[in-house]
Order: sequence, then C-alpha cells, then structure tokens
Amino acid sequence: MAETLSLLAVFSDLEPAADAMDRLRALGVPEDHLNVISGIPLNEAMLGRKQQHSNVPKIALGGAVLGFLVGSALVFGTPYNYPVPIQVGRQPIIPGPPSFIVLFELTMLIMLLSTFLGVFLDSYFPSYRPKQYVADVSDGKIAIFFACPEDQKDKFSQAMTALGAEKVEVAEAKPL
Amino acid sequence: MAPEKQHEEHAHGEEHLRETHLMLDPKPRGEMNAMVMEAMHYTTWKFWVVAAVLAVIVAVGLFYSWGVMIAEGLGLAGINRPSYWGIFIVNTVFWIGISHAGTFISAILRVFKAEFRRPFTRAAELMTTFGLMQAGFSIFMHMGRVWLAYWLFPYPNQRLIWPNLHSPLTWDVLAITTYLLASTMYLFLPLIPDLAMARDRTEGGWRKVAYRILALGFRGTEGEWKHLRLAMNIFAFAIIPVMFSVHTIVSWDFAAATRPGWSSTIFGPYFVVGALHSGMGAVVIVLAIVRGTMKNMKYFIRAEHFEAIGKLMLIISMTWAYFFFNDYIVQWYGGDKWTNILLHFHEAGPLGFLWFLMLAVNIVIPWAVLWNKKWRSNPWIVGIVGLLINVGMWIERYIIVPISLTINRTPFTWSLYKPGIEIPLGIGTLALFILLYMLASKFIPLVPAWEVQEGQLAHRFTKYGRETVVTVSELE
Repeated sequence: MAETLSLLAVFSDLEPAADAMDRLRALGVPEDHLNVISGIPLNEAMLGRKQQHSNVPKIALGGAVLGFLVGSALVFGTPYNYPVPIQVGRQPIIPGPPSFIVLFELTMLIMLLSTFLGVFLDSYFPSYRPKQYVADVSDGKIAIFFACPEDQKDKFSQAMTALGAEKVEVAEAKPL
Repeated sequence: MAPEKQHEEHAHGEEHLRETHLMLDPKPRGEMNAMVMEAMHYTTWKFWVVAAVLAVIVAVGLFYSWGVMIAEGLGLAGINRPSYWGIFIVNTVFWIGISHAGTFISAILRVFKAEFRRPFTRAAELMTTFGLMQAGFSIFMHMGRVWLAYWLFPYPNQRLIWPNLHSPLTWDVLAITTYLLASTMYLFLPLIPDLAMARDRTEGGWRKVAYRILALGFRGTEGEWKHLRLAMNIFAFAIIPVMFSVHTIVSWDFAAATRPGWSSTIFGPYFVVGALHSGMGAVVIVLAIVRGTMKNMKYFIRAEHFEAIGKLMLIISMTWAYFFFNDYIVQWYGGDKWTNILLHFHEAGPLGFLWFLMLAVNIVIPWAVLWNKKWRSNPWIVGIVGLLINVGMWIERYIIVPISLTINRTPFTWSLYKPGIEIPLGIGTLALFILLYMLASKFIPLVPAWEVQEGQLAHRFTKYGRETVVTVSELE
C-alpha cells in the first residue's frame, strides 16, 4: 500500500474551494481526510460538508442546571445552617422573590462560564503544539488539507491548480 | 431615458453607495488586516503625552487618594447624615450604565442582525469591561474598609457573621460579577480570530508571544468556527437578560427602600433605559475619537455608523423622557407630603439648576439635533451630543442619590451633601477608564476584521427591473 501524504491547497475564493472539495471527493479522498481552514466562518453547506458536531450547547445546558443547583443550595440550604436563621421584617426565612433573583443570576453565570469552557473543550484550546497551518488563512484565503497517496501527489496538485489553487504544497506541522 | 444615460446613473448610484457604506466597499482581507494592525502600531508622541498625563491623574487621583482614605478613614468623604450615599454610588451606577453600551450593540444588534454594528462591536464591548471595572472600584471605595470585602461571602466562619444571601447587597454582588465575567468572555470569544491574525502578522518580540498565547492555537478550522459561533449566539441571547437584570437590580437598591423619591415601581426599566442612554452616548464619543485619532479608522467607521447610532440615541432619549415623566407624574399626583417637598427641592432647591440642565441635555438637545440626518451623520456633532448626554445622566444619578437623600421624614437631619475625597477619586476612575482604553487600542485589534469581511461578503448589488438595490444574504 502506497504511503499517504498530507497536501495543502490554498484558494482565494469560496467557489473554487467548493469545486476543489467536490473534485477531491471524486478522486477518492474520504470526507474525514478533508480539512478546511478559513479566515471567516464558512457554514458546512457552502462546501458541501456534513454538519460539524458541537458539544457547546449541551455543556451550556449542563452549566445552567449546575448553576441552578448551586443557587438552590445557597438560597435554600444556607439559612438553616446558621445558628439562628436570619429573618428580615416579616419576610419568611426563605423569601420567594429574592431567592428567584439569586437563582437567576447563578444559573446565568454558570451557564455562560460553561459555554465559554465548552469552546475550549471542543476546540482543544489552548494548544500550542506545532500544527498544519498556513498564515494566508487569516488574510482571507481558504486552505484545504487532504491526504493523498504519495505516488499521486502530482495528479492531485494538478487537479487543485486547475481549479484555481494559488499554491499546493506538502502540509507540515509548524509552530503557530 | 436613453439606456446609456440610465446605465450611467446606476453606475453613479452604485459608486455613491460604495463610498457611503462600508459593507459595500470591500477591500481584500489582507489589506484590511494590514490597516487594523497599522492602526494599533502607529502611535504619535501626542498619544504618549496624553497617556502620561492620565497615568499621573490615576496615580494621584485614584491610588494615592484611595490610599489616604484607607489610612485616614471614610470620614474624608462627604457622605454623612442624611446623605449616606454620595458620589461613590453615583459613579457606580454611572459606570454600570456605560457598560450597557457594549452589550446593547454587540448582543441586541447581533440578535436583530443589524449589519451596521459590525465594525464597532469590539470598541463598544471594551467599554463594557473597562466601565464595569470602574463600577467595581467605586463600590469598593464606598465600602471603606475594602480589605474586609470577603465578609460578604457566605462561608462558615468564626466571626459569627452570617451574610444574608437574600439581601439586595447579594443581588448586586451576583449581578455585577455575572455581568463583568459574561461581558469579558463575550469580548474575548470573537477576539480570538483577530488575535490569531495579529499573531500571524507579528514578527517576534513580546507582542508575538502575547498574541500567540492569547490566540490559544486558533487556526480557523470548521470545528473551531462552529464552536465559536454557537457560543457567541448563546452569549448574545443570554447576556441580554443579564444586562437588564444588572441595572434593574441596581435600581432596586433604591426602589426597594420606602424613601420619598425612590419607592417607585418603574425604577427598573427607567434605570435600564437611562443606562442605554449614557452607554450609547459614550459609544459615539469613543467612536468619534477613535475615528479622528487612529490611523485607517475612517475606512471602517463612517458617517453611516454615526447616523445609525444617532437614530438609536434619539429613540432612547424619547424612551428615557417617557419613563422620566411617568415616574414624575405618579409621584407628583400621589400627593405624599414628603415626596412633594422632595420634588420641589429637586426643581427649586439650591441645586435646582442641575435638574433643568439634566432635562436640557438628556431631552432637549438630543431631540433638537438628532432628528436631522445631516447633523446626526457628523461624528463630532453626535459625539458632543453623546458627551452632553453623559453629563446629563451623571447629574440624573446625582439627583437620585445624594440630592434625594437630603430630604427625608426627619427634617432636623436635612443638610446638603458636600463631596470631599470623592472628587479626586471619581476623576481618577474616569482617567483610568480612558487610559485603559487607550492602551488596549494599541494591543487589541479594535475592528473585528473577520466580522467586517463576513458582512461585506453578505452584501450585494442586485438589479430589480431598472433599479439596482442592495441585498443582504444570511450567511450564518
């Protein structure tokens, strides 16, 4: 079996990049061997890709539940841990409306912290290891990384160039 | 009309639209990135002179004065019976109000897909974070013995202090902490791609190290964008009720007390609208200065943006006037003796001129100026209106806090509040806000280039019959 090689093709526009994705699929590159990096968010449909999975909403929801539980523990649990429960005026020891405020703030706080954390977890941030990257991406280019058999490198390079790739080169992991 | 002439008119119309609207005037992303980077790196001697002056004001006005107050005691401040709350609380409310601008522009306008927001969301978000820091400083000043702040936290202790988690003090702590953390995270998330851009465009030095660390290894993979975008959407929707809750809770610090002038059911929305009023005013001041002083910013921040914000300011001013009158008429009509004395004191007391000045700069001037499209498209005119609104909103808080506290149900205690060390401390927080903003503008890409490019890709000229119109696609 031939050795595989990771190639990188850089495109200026979305259309040729989308065509290149189709061509790579036609050349037999499996979907999970194709990676796209871009300087602006491209939704999956633009490049004919399947929906990316994200755990961020689930993590956010988990955070909301956790926040609610922490809030509940504080507003319902703390007063009875005091030697003498605090009573303000004729309010009950656990008054409803103020408890709602505390519950709301803690639910939102931990939900938003979890959402933030979710981005880190799902994206493996921070990660400072060398990675396959091309700095042109932050200048608006679209880069497609794909694996191809080493002996077919020229064929793939020519296919990409024919579709408008500005450059096609061997992708190497380097420090960002 | 001859077809050639028609074609010429359309071409001229398109050209005019390109000059007017950033979204229709795209530049290559590399060029936009270079402009953003140049704006950060290009610094004149004037910048450093202003920064040095501000640093001195911060050192003396804020840190030295605060040190003196800690050493000598809270007696150096003018707060005393009956005005136990003074400029510290005024400034706390004021800075929380300023902080509402960032969320309003970044979250509410994002949710409503208002395209004009794109180039200045970050400039507004930065104000939120730095504004909340000043609010935090101000409330700690009011606390006096700041080193005992941890007494607020409800943990088992041997001091036999049992903080009441249901008290308005806890609402404030929780609401402001939630808002500060949420707005800082909301500032950071869309900044990551721009930090990666700055990392890619920086050669060596401390900046390279800092950008590399802060960019977290972002490359722009499909997954990274997906997670980032989902998180930004969650934040945009979730931070709006948090924003409303913060200033509503601040208003309850007053409204929950049965004092004349404070006990009002409308204080929550009245405070929120007031916060947006001062916040939007502050945004236009910052945008006018950024546009006028930073390189390349005239491309990103245009008359159209001031025109759009000017319209919002006009609507907010009208809403504020509505709430003000609503609050006033109900109290006035109620006929409570002490409330009537207080209302009369607001208008005809020794500081009655402040009440009229507040109405003039919060209502009369914005209405007189911002109805005119030409005037509200002028950055400096809108900036000056924004400045006046902020003066007016600060006065409004001054009237609500120490002036209203002057009149209570025990007339023998009536006396006018005279601020002491609060004045240098207040000036110090203002200087710190400006200084932090200036320094941040030299380190953080102030324009989210990727959001601008995304917006430009979404805008197109489309021909409908004989007419060329602008259409916007929904790319998200």
